[in-house]
Amino acid sequence: MRRCLAFLRSVATLALVASCASVPAARAAEPLGQVRTLPAQPGPHWVWVSDILLKRAALIDADGGSFLGMLPGGGSGILAPQRSRDGREFYQAETYYARGTRGERTDIVSITDALTLQPKGEVVIPPKRCEHTSWVAGSALSDDGRFFAVFNMNPATSLSIVDVAERRFVAEIDTPGCSLVYAAGTRRFLSLCANGTALVVTLDERGREASKAHTEIWFDPKADPVTEKAARRGDQWFFVSFEGVVHPVDVSGPALRFAEPWSLLSDADRKESWRVGGMQQLALHAATGRLYALMHQGGVDTHKAPGTKVFVYDVDKRERVERIDLRNPTASFVLERIAMPPGGAIDWLLQRALPNHGVERIAVTQDDAPVLVAATAFPATLAVYDARSGAYLRDVSEVGIATSYVAAP
Amino acid sequence: MAERNVDSWLEAAARRLASTTSRRGFLARMGTALFGAASLPLLPVARAGAESPREAGPDESKLQGAAGDPTNCEYWRYCAIDGFLSACCGGTHSSCPPGTEMSRVTWIGTCRHPVDGKDYIISYNDCCGTSFCGRCICNRNEGDRPVYLAGRSNDINWCMGTSTAAYSSTVAIVLGVATES
Repeated sequence: MRRCLAFLRSVATLALVASCASVPAARAAEPLGQVRTLPAQPGPHWVWVSDILLKRAALIDADGGSFLGMLPGGGSGILAPQRSRDGREFYQAETYYARGTRGERTDIVSITDALTLQPKGEVVIPPKRCEHTSWVAGSALSDDGRFFAVFNMNPATSLSIVDVAERRFVAEIDTPGCSLVYAAGTRRFLSLCANGTALVVTLDERGREASKAHTEIWFDPKADPVTEKAARRGDQWFFVSFEGVVHPVDVSGPALRFAEPWSLLSDADRKESWRVGGMQQLALHAATGRLYALMHQGGVDTHKAPGTKVFVYDVDKRERVERIDLRNPTASFVLERIAMPPGGAIDWLLQRALPNHGVERIAVTQDDAPVLVAATAFPATLAVYDARSGAYLRDVSEVGIATSYVAAP
Repeated sequence: MAERNVDSWLEAAARRLASTTSRRGFLARMGTALFGAASLPLLPVARAGAESPREAGPDESKLQGAAGDPTNCEYWRYCAIDGFLSACCGGTHSSCPPGTEMSRVTWIGTCRHPVDGKDYIISYNDCCGTSFCGRCICNRNEGDRPVYLAGRSNDINWCMGTSTAAYSSTVAIVLGVATES
């Protein structure tokens, strides 16, 4: 009997110890009011993805697909945050109305802290900022990082120049007959002109107009206009025409230089009706000189048609090195909705069965193991590919409602 | 085909605009100073103002199917449209929805009427002042050109000269026949 009681006591002790072990240790109460900041070192595959309906640009890590934060854009839905040269802030042109869609209009260049994503300041600019769908070359930061230029159209064209160091509007520079803005030197910008030239605007130390001059005619705006959707590698801009002709523009010297144009398309490609298209149709990895061009099969007037493949070129050798098959964005969207992983039989079926409206925008990161992101507005999707091998890596889920501009900052 | 004629028309429209809008002084000065000097279409924009003499639109009674349906992207006038169709948003193919204001400057396209076979110059006027309509989004790009050839670019928010630049939807108004010149 005693032995039996001792056994029961041991069992009770063990049960007590076990129950004590399951009681949670005392923890500190969760603090209120905590707001995260971004890591000091940006991830190599962070990309901005703006949304024309949500009117914000989301910072997304293409590696894990995580949503890191966002910048609002007021009344503007297509946003292109531009990182300062020291990486500490973002600049963005925005338009506001006092009553949302009416009332007094105010255009600003906002300055946002790159770690907290909190506003650091703003500079009011003339209320005539041009809004256009591709948003390529709607604004540009001078190569020295000092002046931010915003393209205006009302419908007369001009540039608003903002000194981002002193946080002040400096000047409005008329660009008659010429549109858009591309950084083209320390304190120099270029615009594309309706007569096939570029207008080169050079600023003085204060950001005012020091000189303004047209280049020679370097493309034919009637027969085969270059698109706005250019890509840059160091001192070289690459503009591509409706017919897929690449026009390299060298901005390193006092005068712009125009190298011999070359074609993205072989005779066989033309025979198969391949064309460059989309809203952001070029991306360039500077270190390797790989040019990524969004391609589709179509006829005349399909210069904005979404793409089903990306052709990859070596811009030094002027030759194609790879073709990347893009996944069907509609299928990817449906796959995500039904919570099925890519790569299975359902995926295989959806990729082929659902209509493929193609990809509208591409961008590439600039690290040693770059990724290519491919975005479509409706349905809003963002697919990530290995930019070197072309292998599909992942889709980013719930990227927005209507994906518009994409950029690797 | 109709390009020369369209360009001449654009130039005339630009000159009209430069001499009649509220920005008259600035535009006229700039136009006078630079039009001749650089041979550039400084204000390559169209205007469908009431003061512009216009021809009667074509007969649309015999149009069939999508080409005759103003709520369909394939409606014949929409060959260079980009935006939400006003006809789906409380307006019609040629009038803006209630609560909006029609843009004073526009882009243009040249669309072939499927029955009479003629090419017509179409003015695409944005309806402005409210939020996005969100219905019947269409994007067709026949004759569309980059932003620097502005009068033929459908990528631009053409809510200019209106009290606000908030975009709502778009109409397609026949301006006249695009004849060879």
